[in-house]
Amino acid sequence: MNSLIAHYPSTEFFDELVDGERRPRPAARTLFQHLEALDAAGLDERREAVNAAIMTMGITFTVYSEAGNIDRAWPFDIIPRVLSRREWTRIEEGLKQRLTALNLFIDDLYNEQRIVRDGVFPLEVLEGSRNFRAQCKGITPRFGVWAHVCGTDLVRDKDGTVYVLEDNLRVPSGVSYMLENRQLMKRLFPDLFRASDILPVDDYPARLHDTLAALSPRTGLRPVVVVLTPGIYNSAYFEHSYLAQKMGAFLVEGSDLVVGEDDCVYMKTVSGLRRVDVIYRRIDDDFLDPEAFRPDSALGVKGLMRAWRAGNVGIANAPGAGVADDKVVYAFVPKVIQYYLDQEPIIPNVPSYLCMYEKDKEYVLANLDKLVVKPANESGGYGMLIGPRATPEERKQFAELIQANPRNYMAQPTLALSTAPTLVDHHLEPRHLDLRPFILQSDRLYCTTGGLTRVAMKSGSLVVNSSQGGGAKDTWIVDMGEGEE
Amino acid sequence: MMLSRVAENLYWMARYLERAENTARFINSTTQVLLDLPRGASFGWDVLLKAAGLDALYDEHYGQPNEADIMRFLILDERNPSSIVASIHSARENTRTFREVLPMEMWERINGLYLYIRDHAARAARGRGPRWEVLNGVIERRQSIIGLLTGSMSHDLAYQFLKLGRNVERADMTTRILDVNSAVRLPSDTTAPETARERLWMSTLNGLSAYQMYRLHVGVHVSGPAVLRFLLADPHFPRSVSHCLGEIENCLCDLVNYEEPLKVARYAWKRLDGERLDDLTAENLHDRLDQMQGDLAELHTAISRQYFHLHQQSALPEQTLSQ
Repeated sequence: MNSLIAHYPSTEFFDELVDGERRPRPAARTLFQHLEALDAAGLDERREAVNAAIMTMGITFTVYSEAGNIDRAWPFDIIPRVLSRREWTRIEEGLKQRLTALNLFIDDLYNEQRIVRDGVFPLEVLEGSRNFRAQCKGITPRFGVWAHVCGTDLVRDKDGTVYVLEDNLRVPSGVSYMLENRQLMKRLFPDLFRASDILPVDDYPARLHDTLAALSPRTGLRPVVVVLTPGIYNSAYFEHSYLAQKMGAFLVEGSDLVVGEDDCVYMKTVSGLRRVDVIYRRIDDDFLDPEAFRPDSALGVKGLMRAWRAGNVGIANAPGAGVADDKVVYAFVPKVIQYYLDQEPIIPNVPSYLCMYEKDKEYVLANLDKLVVKPANESGGYGMLIGPRATPEERKQFAELIQANPRNYMAQPTLALSTAPTLVDHHLEPRHLDLRPFILQSDRLYCTTGGLTRVAMKSGSLVVNSSQGGGAKDTWIVDMGEGEE
Repeated sequence: MMLSRVAENLYWMARYLERAENTARFINSTTQVLLDLPRGASFGWDVLLKAAGLDALYDEHYGQPNEADIMRFLILDERNPSSIVASIHSARENTRTFREVLPMEMWERINGLYLYIRDHAARAARGRGPRWEVLNGVIERRQSIIGLLTGSMSHDLAYQFLKLGRNVERADMTTRILDVNSAVRLPSDTTAPETARERLWMSTLNGLSAYQMYRLHVGVHVSGPAVLRFLLADPHFPRSVSHCLGEIENCLCDLVNYEEPLKVARYAWKRLDGERLDDLTAENLHDRLDQMQGDLAELHTAISRQYFHLHQQSALPEQTLSQ
């Protein structure tokens, strides 16, 4: 019997690698055979090797509150999270279905607003959305696509059902870590990759490049693609630099770009101004163009919206795409899918209560101790209330916040997030996790093979964000041939 | 194609590293000079501050110049942007913004240099013994970075900007190191003043790792005019001002739109070439070196105007817009 599993505690949660009888799930069998051959010392050795590799490869992230010490080594767990290809294929379809519908939805909101007129999506939600940009009305970007890069968070509940927790349509990050996690694992367990059919993930930068290049207004030329970063103090700077490097794109800051009298975007190079065709922007709408949005923004480029509206530059994600990245709008996505595609959603939403509706609000206020309450427009886990863990004080505060601005809050039951074995002090312990795949859309659709698995490193914790002590695992989609499972 | 901002950061990164190394050399060579002086010769540590052009900044933060304070100021005071610690820190921060254009190990090496000086700076400021050893450690690590660049970086645009920054800074620092000697006043009763002077110049050569090459290519005897000629006008010694100007010219010719900065570089070279080095005396040496520093400052301005801040005037040049 596998000694590692023998000591792995069974819990009330769904475990990704181990079934109810504490046997490895089929897709994880090869993995466990290999792990079994390693004793605790062997595991530790691998982990040491990983830590050294992380330092050498310079895989870091930044925490907002630690401006003085801007680099932190990437917290990586060496036990991968494994999914079967069969399950993944269905999830992938669901993700593509979702993004297709979301893009139709965004395009409709900025144009005819048929979905509002048909009474499917309430006007008051639209009017209350902080991420709806009036400046974008009447525009249809190329292919009608607004969100070219989407990071969708998936979680699995107790009964094994996978839900969409949220869609990140503004500037989702994490994909560089997904790629680096795989590099680390290949360095560490080369034998495993030979023994099982683990699908590769490394075509993402090329696919991202193609997705972006398709937005170029000057067809026929090799487009000049840039990654627009707020700079080295941003928590995702590592990723911006990484993706620029892998795509052969220029990593630029706002001050490197200028919009000319001809409403084209140029970058300042040592040999003069050079036309820019596509901007993969990693800064929020608010800071994008001081002329159109926040006038005090020093990060953006004056006149960028003019250039985009004139069709002289492609911007991904398009300004205003965040309107669908709103936790209240989220609750309507199943209806959005039905409305535009006339299909049932392949991946369900987590049941949600919208405080804008009197009945829902009363339920939320009465059950604050059982629910997770989220503000509409925050990301990264900020400003959330996890009811069962909150103090009565905190719950009272949240009740007041909800009363004051019900449109801004939604609530969901606390899910029993699935777990996976994680190496903690020489042995395996269950830790909660989620999964963030990345979906691309321009002239075609693409979905990463798996995604970034984020894991709460503290026992019992449900918070997986790296900014709040979360870590990551490599995610394996394993092809087991016909008749798998 | 290279962004102006990235080019400027590369250029400054190279300058900062060169400055750190040369400040280390500067301090070590001055310490040697001091040890070789005849008793009674007048020489204050403040000469070092003046030569480095940092006397005003020093006065803002410290009182009467003395060795301990000056060493603290030049080695580890981050309020002095040219201190060794501050220079290396700036180089490291700059490197973050363009890791993608450098060889992979570059970041590790620069980070290693930073961690080294951060951990040893206090010891270096404490006394002459550990100082020499720690500063030598800085020089060695910097040399290994140069080695890495030379051996594993394509001679692309990024490389040219690194090389430009390195040579502008190096030429400037060589003139400053020479300037220290012009400030030494030997007492009138010095026995064998010639020998005393000779020893001073030998220390300068040593500080620049130039003694062996001098002996090989100039001769055994060390005289002021010969050392000046070697360190200012020798075409082959890599720290001579003339050689640096030649390297700068080569770099510029590999770039685009180099006419303006090249004109300034050639002007500096012509002035140096026309200099009657044999006529330089302890009295007028300082002024001539000052003038060379002025020429190098002009060159820096021309480079930044042409490559880093070309677009600041906001007027968009028509030829680029109509392409």
